[in-house]
Amino acid sequence: MAEVQPLIAAEGIVKTFPGVVANDHVDVEVLPGEIHALLGENGAGKSTLAAVLTGLYRPDAGRVLVDGREVTIRSPRQGLALGIGMVHQHFRLVPRLTVAENVLLGDPDAPRLLRARQVEQRVAELAVRYGLDVHPAARVGDLTVGERQRVEIVKTLYRGARVLLLDEPTAVLTPQEAQALFTTVRAMAAEGKGVVFISHKLSEVQAVSDRVTVMRDGRVIGRVPTAGTDRHELARMMVGREVDLSPRRAAAPPGDVVLALDGVSAGAAGGRGRLEQLSLSVRRGEIVGVAGVSGNGQRALAEVVAGLRTPDAGTVRIAGTDTTGRGPQAARAAGLAYAPEDRNGTGLAPSLSVAENMVLTRTTDRLVRMGRARAAARAAIEAYQIKAPGPDAPTRSLSGGNVQKVLLARELATSPDVLVVCSPTWGLDVGAVEFVRGRLDRLRAEGAGVLLISEDLDEVRALSDRICVLHSGRIVLETAGEGADVAQLGLAMMGDRA
Amino acid sequence: MKGLTLERRAAAGVREVLAVPVLSVLGGLLLGAIFLRATGHDPVAVYREMVTGTLTTSYGLADTVTTSIPLILAGLAAAVAFRVNLYNIGGEGQIYLGAVAATGATLWVGDTAPAVVQLPVLLVAGAAGGAAWIAVPALLRAWFGTNETITTLMLNLVALYLVQYLILGSHSFWRDPDSPTFPKGKPLPDAARLATFGTTSVHLGLVVALAAVGVVAFVLRKLRLGLDMKIMGDAPDAARYAGIPVRRTMVVVLLASGALAGLAGAVEVGGRTHQLDPNGTAVGFGYTGIIVAALARLSPVGVVVTAVLLGVLENSKSVLQTMSDQVPLAITTMLEGAILIFAIGGEILVRHRIRRRTAPVTPAAQETAVGETAAVETAAEETAR
Amino acid sequence: MNHSVLVSTLAAAVIAGTPLVWASLGALLNERAGVLNLGVEGMMLLGACTAFLASHATGSAVVGLLAGALGGAGLATVHAVSSITLRANQIVSGLALTIFGSGLARYLGKPVEGTTITGKIGDLPVPGLRALPVLGPVLFDQDALVYLSWVACALAAFYLGRTRPGLNLRAVGDSPATADAMGIRVAATRYAHTLAGGALCGVGGAYLVLRVVSSWNQEGTTGGQGWIALALVVFAGWRPLLVIAGAYLFGLALRANFALQGEGVAIPAELLSMLPYLLTIVVLVVLSVTKRDGGAPQSLGRPFVRDER
Repeated sequence: MAEVQPLIAAEGIVKTFPGVVANDHVDVEVLPGEIHALLGENGAGKSTLAAVLTGLYRPDAGRVLVDGREVTIRSPRQGLALGIGMVHQHFRLVPRLTVAENVLLGDPDAPRLLRARQVEQRVAELAVRYGLDVHPAARVGDLTVGERQRVEIVKTLYRGARVLLLDEPTAVLTPQEAQALFTTVRAMAAEGKGVVFISHKLSEVQAVSDRVTVMRDGRVIGRVPTAGTDRHELARMMVGREVDLSPRRAAAPPGDVVLALDGVSAGAAGGRGRLEQLSLSVRRGEIVGVAGVSGNGQRALAEVVAGLRTPDAGTVRIAGTDTTGRGPQAARAAGLAYAPEDRNGTGLAPSLSVAENMVLTRTTDRLVRMGRARAAARAAIEAYQIKAPGPDAPTRSLSGGNVQKVLLARELATSPDVLVVCSPTWGLDVGAVEFVRGRLDRLRAEGAGVLLISEDLDEVRALSDRICVLHSGRIVLETAGEGADVAQLGLAMMGDRA
Repeated sequence: MKGLTLERRAAAGVREVLAVPVLSVLGGLLLGAIFLRATGHDPVAVYREMVTGTLTTSYGLADTVTTSIPLILAGLAAAVAFRVNLYNIGGEGQIYLGAVAATGATLWVGDTAPAVVQLPVLLVAGAAGGAAWIAVPALLRAWFGTNETITTLMLNLVALYLVQYLILGSHSFWRDPDSPTFPKGKPLPDAARLATFGTTSVHLGLVVALAAVGVVAFVLRKLRLGLDMKIMGDAPDAARYAGIPVRRTMVVVLLASGALAGLAGAVEVGGRTHQLDPNGTAVGFGYTGIIVAALARLSPVGVVVTAVLLGVLENSKSVLQTMSDQVPLAITTMLEGAILIFAIGGEILVRHRIRRRTAPVTPAAQETAVGETAAVETAAEETAR
Repeated sequence: MNHSVLVSTLAAAVIAGTPLVWASLGALLNERAGVLNLGVEGMMLLGACTAFLASHATGSAVVGLLAGALGGAGLATVHAVSSITLRANQIVSGLALTIFGSGLARYLGKPVEGTTITGKIGDLPVPGLRALPVLGPVLFDQDALVYLSWVACALAAFYLGRTRPGLNLRAVGDSPATADAMGIRVAATRYAHTLAGGALCGVGGAYLVLRVVSSWNQEGTTGGQGWIALALVVFAGWRPLLVIAGAYLFGLALRANFALQGEGVAIPAELLSMLPYLLTIVVLVVLSVTKRDGGAPQSLGRPFVRDER
């Protein structure tokens, strides 16, 4: 059988940053009509490899071949000209512009005078052809996350991409939206395009890919046809050691209610992300997970509980004390700790040292006692195995996992009764994920209650004793964490109840 | 730049912190020299005159120190606010209003009161005047987010016209009735005047200025307010999260900034001009104070050093006037502006290292760039809409 | 108020507002690229100075205008290097340039202090239209630079909304990371628009000295108008056509002094001089209280740092 020429191939790619070899002699190839998964944990080097393929990074060694010819891709624009397009994890869209304008951006072939109608027509054509529901004249700022992702896909198709790289595309989608994405991807492959599906989720990789390349610590561990492998083998290749990432549930039944929201409404009238008469409770010794697609009120929920936002209606009670609208200090005094999604920017001040960040929330102090702050920092570094040069290192110099450790160390230092935590393991490598999950489990065992808010359904399912689905500011479904029906959860996340 | 890239340092490079201000001064002088030469003057001679006239003669040195007194206070005013990313450009107007309030209050208290009453009145009124003048922009910024840069700046011009009106345009309380045809300010009661050190022109305002430096340094380093300010200046979201009363702190910082500038006006009036003088009271010192602060990298102790440096420059105006080769006095303003440009341009070297392109990003940043930035960006996107 | 006095005041307001139109348009272009420019005042002053010197030397207003544009652009280059390449704090950089620019303007202008120029900008009435009641003398009996300012604003509006480079500019101002990922050269765009903006500010200063004032005065030819121009950009919501309306309003405030004095209104001159500045504050307050999004470019004032290649 004749060898089919890969659309794109990388040979011996080496890419280093100080102290880290992100890609260590990596090979990969994508055949026409193939959906090729790039599997690995956070930090394995998948995103770096993708950046090299699309022209965002230049490799230190190795070569990239397009249609068998060696090329040097100096910029994403050049990559696109060669037919390589990427849909990033964090979208590259300008919210103030329309879909059509975003698609046009930087298109070297676009005429000097904009012909809005022509562009809109072509965008509509592409949308129909690939089953992507986008409206060319809509303002991107008004779109949901799923819709924005579709715009990103249309952008690459508009420029004639023949190879599409998708970086963790389903992280923020509902299960149903993920299915729709798979349909689109299959349609593209059927036309002879190549798709690289970058993910750390085994189930998806199995569902949609033809072949899998597994990466770990910057190296390619193996490349196998998807049909010929199973989850255990993939997990073993991906992680390389025994890591227990199986779901953990509470060992004992839950105790008293330690956090209670009753009829809470908050947010600008008619705005997105509102809360509508939401009621929710968390008991001691349990983890309650709040699942939902971005934009349904997660931020408002966290802020109301933490005292950072005053609701228009309803009450918040922490360990029996009414803290509604009394500010974050009152919430903390009542026994609450809050680890926000934006770790180094909200939870911590990035230019400040670990020691200073350890006392960040002690706003009732009169004097600053740096000696004590440093001691607290040293204790945290040891207890949480934080890799930091010392207590005076600014937290911006720490890596993701260590930042999260500092944040948790500070928040848990007060032995809170309730912890509100948002996206706790987002972007962390396997070791850090294991650590954080273990710490939350321990917190639960010690009798605290945990409210876990996350857009990643897998994260919610792995840790929660009870799952609540948040949609349009309301809890639309409540179910046990153990054995929860994914399809039912997905429908609830989209607003349909099964 | 091809082949070079910038890598962020973990902590400000100590060598650079000291080198950048020094090199900026040299750079500014070099630029000034080019302009001097291009317009037919001898830069070496000019600079030599400037330095000897302001530093080597006892008269000149005293004048330089006297000039740096309001500059220290104006520099503190700017530094305090800029640390929290609040750009109080209104130091100029706050100095004027401090002078207006100080003269008004001490004149009102009258000739009979002793120094033990008048001196506190002078200083407190000055500080209050400056604070009052920034109060409206401060409240507007804290409550409505109104850009304080333009509002404080507009008030500079209003203040200028106000002082002109009080002395030149009317027969107000501040105007000297004993001089009906030649407008000047009413002289201050003796008890309200700041004593000088011996026969020099250096007055007690120096003590006030240095005391202010000590207070500001103490607050920033030791009081919780100082840490709150540091957090607000670095990450406003973290400040809100921590429960820091952001709006109240903004107002407090801005009022303190205005008060310090007002104090500058008060000591000028009490120690040097002894009257409200639209042409004499520290003209331009509000803006110069910003240069003082920026050169000192917003450090309260550093302000003392840079204030003396700019005192030299300001004072050299009178030296230049006596030179046979008439150099336009504006050269000092040019030098000040040039030094500031070099200083903030050079700031990048304090924060970053220059590396060749092979090894640029820190491991933290790389993993961070892949994971964390995304979280921040999606979070930012969510808040943006 | 007497009809002819009203008309002549309005006509004078247009002239007084025209430097503001040019300077604001310049600041608008800067800011649309994401670069805050507090050096407008310095650029106007330096443009005024170079225009004056050039016109004084050659007797030609056109040469003067070009010199003004070059002066403004020159100072803007420093701001561009400082803000874009060196990623300095844009507020302090702009202020430094205002200080330096005004110093330089006074330094260069000292030799010609107090002299008047020969190469002024003359009237250029539009035949036919100038006969219209009220609007005629106010709008159509002006000089070439007034008409050009309208054309410039219209062109800028068209550029922003209807052309590809304008679209790219909007992207750079709102989301430089996205623009960069799409292959747009962010630094080059910012440089280009900072220089162009500086040139326009210089033209504003040149107009001031070649038409409005026509002599070189060491102390404050611009008198703070650069700052008003910045407020005008906010007032106009970063849209070029609205700049004209705001500029004429402020031009009126600047002339109110003379008009009211002529009418014998007994308000002291100094207090009347405060009017434009107080008006600026009021406008800014109203804008922030009504919480208009305003249309500010989202990356305004923040340096853009791209991941290394």
